[in-house]
Amino acid sequence: MPILELHHLRKYFATQKAVDDISLTIEKGQIFGLLGPNGAGKTTLIRMITGIFYPDEGDIFFDGKKFDPINDISKIGYMPEERGLYKKMKIGEQTEYLAQLKGLKRSEANRKIKEWFIKFDMHTWWNKKVEDLSKGMSQKLQFVTTVLHEPKLIILDEPFSGLDPVNTNLIKDEIYNLAQKGATIIFSTHRMEQVEEICDHIALVNKGQKILDGTVKQVKQDFKEHLFKVSFADHVTPEHLAIHLFEVKKKDDNEVVIKVDPGYSNNDVLQYFINKGLRIESFNEILPSLNDIFIRLVGNTPTARQFQEVTA
Amino acid sequence: MNKILLIIKREYLTRVRKKTFIISTILFPLLYLALIFGMGYLGEKGKSRLRVAIIDSSGYFDKGKIERENLKDSSSILRLVTDNPDSLKKNFTDQGYDGFIIIPQHASWEQGINEPLQTSRTLGIGSAAQVEKKLNSIWDEIKNEKLGIDENKKMILNSSRVNIIPKNIKDETADSGVASTIGYVAGFLIYLILLIYGSQVMMGVMEEKTNRIAEVIVSSVKPFQLMLGKILGIGLVALTQFLLWIAFIFIIYNITKAGGSGMMSGVVGQVQKVFAGINIPLILFCFGFYFLGGFFFYSSLYAAIGSAVNEDMREAQSLSFPVTMLVIFSIAIMTVTISEPTGKLAVWASIIPFSSPIVMMARIPFGVPGTVPWWQLGLSMGLLIAGFIFTVWLSGKIYRTGILMYGKKPSWKEMLKWAFRKN
Ligand SMILES: Nc1ncnc2c1ncn2[C@@H]1O[C@H](COP(=O)(O)OP(=O)(O)OP(=O)(O)O)[C@@H](O)[C@H]1O
Ligand SMILES: [Mg+2]
Repeated sequence: MPILELHHLRKYFATQKAVDDISLTIEKGQIFGLLGPNGAGKTTLIRMITGIFYPDEGDIFFDGKKFDPINDISKIGYMPEERGLYKKMKIGEQTEYLAQLKGLKRSEANRKIKEWFIKFDMHTWWNKKVEDLSKGMSQKLQFVTTVLHEPKLIILDEPFSGLDPVNTNLIKDEIYNLAQKGATIIFSTHRMEQVEEICDHIALVNKGQKILDGTVKQVKQDFKEHLFKVSFADHVTPEHLAIHLFEVKKKDDNEVVIKVDPGYSNNDVLQYFINKGLRIESFNEILPSLNDIFIRLVGNTPTARQFQEVTA
Repeated sequence: MNKILLIIKREYLTRVRKKTFIISTILFPLLYLALIFGMGYLGEKGKSRLRVAIIDSSGYFDKGKIERENLKDSSSILRLVTDNPDSLKKNFTDQGYDGFIIIPQHASWEQGINEPLQTSRTLGIGSAAQVEKKLNSIWDEIKNEKLGIDENKKMILNSSRVNIIPKNIKDETADSGVASTIGYVAGFLIYLILLIYGSQVMMGVMEEKTNRIAEVIVSSVKPFQLMLGKILGIGLVALTQFLLWIAFIFIIYNITKAGGSGMMSGVVGQVQKVFAGINIPLILFCFGFYFLGGFFFYSSLYAAIGSAVNEDMREAQSLSFPVTMLVIFSIAIMTVTISEPTGKLAVWASIIPFSSPIVMMARIPFGVPGTVPWWQLGLSMGLLIAGFIFTVWLSGKIYRTGILMYGKKPSWKEMLKWAFRKN
C-alpha cells in the first residue's frame, strides 16, 4: 500500500502557478527523489504534504486515509531547505522541545536524543547553544531533530548541502538505515549523482508540473540512446567501421562508442565485428546519467522561472 | 492543546530565566521611586535660600517684625538695613546678600507694594515666591494693626471659610483625589504593558521567522497554535512581573507596619485611610481583566506585524506605527477622562475595544456603579472580549501567510487581503 498518494494537487500564488496539477504515488519504504530546477515548485509541494499549506485543489492520502494534518504530522519528519533552530537555546533542551512538539514524552525524547547524540558523536553538545555550532554541525543536529520521533515519512529538502564528505556519508548511511527499518524518505535535491546513488524512485517537476516519474532504472531505460562502448584486443581502423549498422560517436585506438541504428540488435553488431575478425574484449551499454536526462528535459526552459499572471 | 502548553512553557521559561527579566523586575520599581523622589529633591534643591536686604523708607517695617518672621519661616533670610540705596546697590554682594528690595517712602498700606527684588543673577520664580510670601505675611500683620484687628478677630478671619468637597451621593465611598491617582497609575501601567510586552511579542515572532525555525515548528503544530502560545507565554511573563511587584509592595507595607516607628506608622495609617474608601477587589479584578484583554487585543496585532516583516527593525516600526498610535491615542484620551470621568468622550472611549483597556481602567476607581454604571462596564468587557477574539483571528490568518513569506515587506492592505482570503 502506498504511504502517500497525491491526486491533482494545485497551489497557485498571486504571481505563480507554484504547483499545477501534480499527481504522485509513493510506496512504503521507498527512497524517493523529488527533482526539478529552481522555482519548479518542489518546496511548495512538500509544504502541502507537511500540512503547512492547504492545497487549492486536489487530495492527499496518507497511509491509506485522507491526510489529516493535525493527527498525521506527528508521523512525518520534515527538514526544510532553510534550516532553522533557536539560536540562543541549549541544544539538548531544544531537541527535547522539538521532539515533544511531535508528540514524544519527555523521558522518551531524552532517551532517544542521547542515543542519537552518541551515534553521531554529538554527546558533548548538550549544554551548548546552537549559535556555537558551525553550519554543518547544526545541519547534523537538524537531521537528528527531524528523525528523532521515528516518523513513517521523512521529508528532506536538500539534506546534504553544507556537509563535508564524512558527514554526508554518515547521513546517507542513516537514510539507508531508516529506509531499511521501514521509513519512507522523500528528498529534494539538485545533485543528480546523489540521487543516482541513493534513490530508487524519482519524479521530475518543472514549472509546477510533473514531467517524469519512475524508478531510476526505468527512467534510464526510457531515455537510453542505444549507445554502446566496445573495446577490442586489436587496433581498430576506419575500414572496420561500416555505416549501415551503427553510427560512431567516438573512436580510440582500440575502443569505440557507437549508436546502434534502429532495427538492429546487439547480436547483429557483435556478429559484424566477429566477421571482421576483431577480438572483442568488452561490450557495454552506456545508459544516460540522470544529469543528462535532467538537462535534456528542462534545459530548454529559461534558467530563471518567469513570473506569470495567475487568474483563477 | 498539549502542544500549546509546551509552547507557552518554552516562551515563559526562556524569558523568565533571562537576567534582563530579573533585573528589570527589581530595577523598575526602584527607578520609579528614584524618579519620584529625585524630582522632589531637585525641585527643593532648585529653590535656594536667599538672603535679602530691605531698605524701608516708608517706616512700616521694623526689625522686630522681620526677625520674628525669620524665626517662623527659614526659607529665606530678610534683613532690615539702613544703608543708602546707591551704596547698597554697589556692594550688596560683598555684604553677603543675594539681592535687595527698596520700599519707597510713598508706599501705602491700603494699596500694597509693587517693587522689584534686585539681584545680580537670574533667580527662579520659586525662590522669589518664597521671599514674597514671607513679606506678605509681615504685610498682613501691618494691615491688621492698621485695621485694628486683634488676635481674636484674626482667628475668625483665618479660620472661618466655605469649604466644598465633591461628593457622589450614589457612591459614598468614591474620593476623586484618590480615584484620579489610582486611575492614572492603572491606566498608565496598562499603557506600558501594551507597548513593552506588545513589542516583545513582535520581536519574538520576528526572531522565529528570521531564524527560520518557524517552518520547522509549523510542521509540528498549527501556525495559530504557535502564535497563541507565544502571546500567552509572554502574557504570563508580564503577569508574573506584576505579581512580583504587588508582592514587593505588600512585603514592604507589612515591614513598615510592623516596624512601627512613629513616622512610618503615620504613613501606614494614612494609606489605610485612603484605601478604606476604595473597592480594591473590584479594581484589582478589573485591572487583571483589562490588562489581559488589552494585551491579547494588541499583542496579536503585533504578532501579525512581526510575521509580515523580515529582520529589518525599521520595517517593523513603520508597519506597527498605526497600532502604536492607537495605544498612545488611548493614553491621551485617558488624561481627559480623569478630569471628567463621566464625559461623552470618556464613556465611549471606555466602551470601544481599542481604547477601553486604558480608559476604562482610569474610570473605574471613581466608582462602580456611581461613575461607571454596570451596563457600561459589562458592555465594555463584552466588546473587549469580542474585540480580541477578532484581532486574534485576524492576526492568525495574517500570521499563517506571513511567517513563511520572505521578500518584500507587505502593506497593511496586502496583509488584510491575506486575512480575508479563504484558507
Ligand atoms: N509564499 C509564496 N508566495 C508567492 N509565491 C510563492 C510562494 N512560495 C513560492 N512561490 C513561487 O512559487 C514558485 C515555486 O517555488 P518553490 O519554492 O516551490 O520552488 P522550488 O522548486 O522549491 O525551488 P528551489 O529549488 O529554488 O528551492 C516560485 O516561482 C516562487 O516564486
Ligand atoms: Mg525549494
